[in-house]
Amino acid sequence: MPEAVRSALAIAGKDLRLEFRTRTALLSAFVFAVLTLLVFNFSRDQSLISTADLAPSALWITVAFGAVVAMNRAFIIEREQGAFDALLLAPVPRGAIYWGKFLANLAFVGLVEALTLPLFVLFFNVPLGRALPGLLATLVLATIGFVAVGTILSAMVVRTRFAELMLPVLILPFMVPPLIGAVQVTARLLGGRPLTEVLGWLRLLVTYDVVFVTLCTLAFTAVVDE
Amino acid sequence: MPELPQNAPYMVAAYVVTAVILVGYAVSLWVRSR
Amino acid sequence: MTPLPSAGRVIRAGRLLTILGLLGMALVYVLALQFTPVEARQGMAQKIFYVHAPAAWGALIAFILVGVASILYLWLHDPRLDLFAEASAEVGLAFSAVMLTTGPIWGKPVWGTWWTWDARLTLTLFLFLLFLGYLTLRAAVREPVERARFSAVLGIMALVLVPFIHLSVYLFRTLHPQPILLKPSRPSLPPEMLRTLLTSMGVYTLLYLGFVTLRYGIGLRRAVALREADDA
Repeated sequence: MPEAVRSALAIAGKDLRLEFRTRTALLSAFVFAVLTLLVFNFSRDQSLISTADLAPSALWITVAFGAVVAMNRAFIIEREQGAFDALLLAPVPRGAIYWGKFLANLAFVGLVEALTLPLFVLFFNVPLGRALPGLLATLVLATIGFVAVGTILSAMVVRTRFAELMLPVLILPFMVPPLIGAVQVTARLLGGRPLTEVLGWLRLLVTYDVVFVTLCTLAFTAVVDE
Repeated sequence: MPELPQNAPYMVAAYVVTAVILVGYAVSLWVRSR
Repeated sequence: MTPLPSAGRVIRAGRLLTILGLLGMALVYVLALQFTPVEARQGMAQKIFYVHAPAAWGALIAFILVGVASILYLWLHDPRLDLFAEASAEVGLAFSAVMLTTGPIWGKPVWGTWWTWDARLTLTLFLFLLFLGYLTLRAAVREPVERARFSAVLGIMALVLVPFIHLSVYLFRTLHPQPILLKPSRPSLPPEMLRTLLTSMGVYTLLYLGFVTLRYGIGLRRAVALREADDA
């Protein structure tokens, strides 16, 4: 296995183990997701707004904010441990560092989503059935988009004074295109529309992912090097 | 011929707001450049 | 180290251009209000167009230049490019503020709603948010070289983002037929209106140049002062 890939996986592994030793981050993201779903459900007038209308929005707001909370926690923990600076001293290609963090964040956010999705299905009586593969694909694609951008932005704000506030402020505009696509696809799929109808949106998601993962991998060097 | 809508106040508001923002910014730059 | 040009001269030039720009704006106001015919369907409110549309162009130009300066900075590492990007971002914020305020003021009498998620307004909202984010990031990072690098990365990311925003809004609109709004049309403007619009665009460009030069001068002076303090 090429050296860079091995380094990336090692970094990812280290980050994830850091996360599990401090389970608070995972727990807080999960609690946040549950809270959001609850509020969505209790805030609507049942006779006016059907679950079907509300479900896609509720899911994606939960996922989007949950992802931001998760990524925020991940970098803050790392900063507190002082591990980041030590990592930079090692002769590891910067792209590999990015991929390590990217993969770790992806796994972490993915885990939060995996725990949230069943709750979502439960609370909103969502008829999954045939929509499931498309829904999972959308979740993966959108999450890749969020995390690609979130990872590099976190690296930039981690040492600033208001890091926890900075990340949401900076990342919000970047989350919108994948978010719009994801909500559109989810709404159609849950409404029983075939996958072929949402190909345009899925293409948008894939393009976004490819472009931003590439851009962020290349730009990461500028962020961490002197 | 249909009547002309009487919406001049909106126009005035927009022109005033624009002037306030642009002149205000100019003044702020001027002061900062002293 | 890269020699920095004399800040004093830049500031003077910026002030001159700004004054000329503001005088130009006064001219545009008179032109639009007194010497341009009133549009029959929309009434007087249509004249907001002459201050609204050029602001949009100004914001877009400012944005693109931030992106270009960012790319060049990461390539050439010239601090002047970073200072220019900072200036352009601030000016862009001012222009998008004009657009975001005049847009709804125009929309209410003409379309009946304060806001529509049409391509132009949505895009300007995003430009505003991106400018704000860019300037917020700059305010949060203390060390100048680190700040320049981070801002440049964000500037490039923002530039790449814009086509995607445009695409999503476009896809959304084509798949969601919106009720036909009385959009202020621009296929064929009567000559006097076109003249006013073009004059306004010219003046806004002049104003952009004045603002950006002056703001660049301010940043330049601060950078020189910091460098002298370091050398001392």
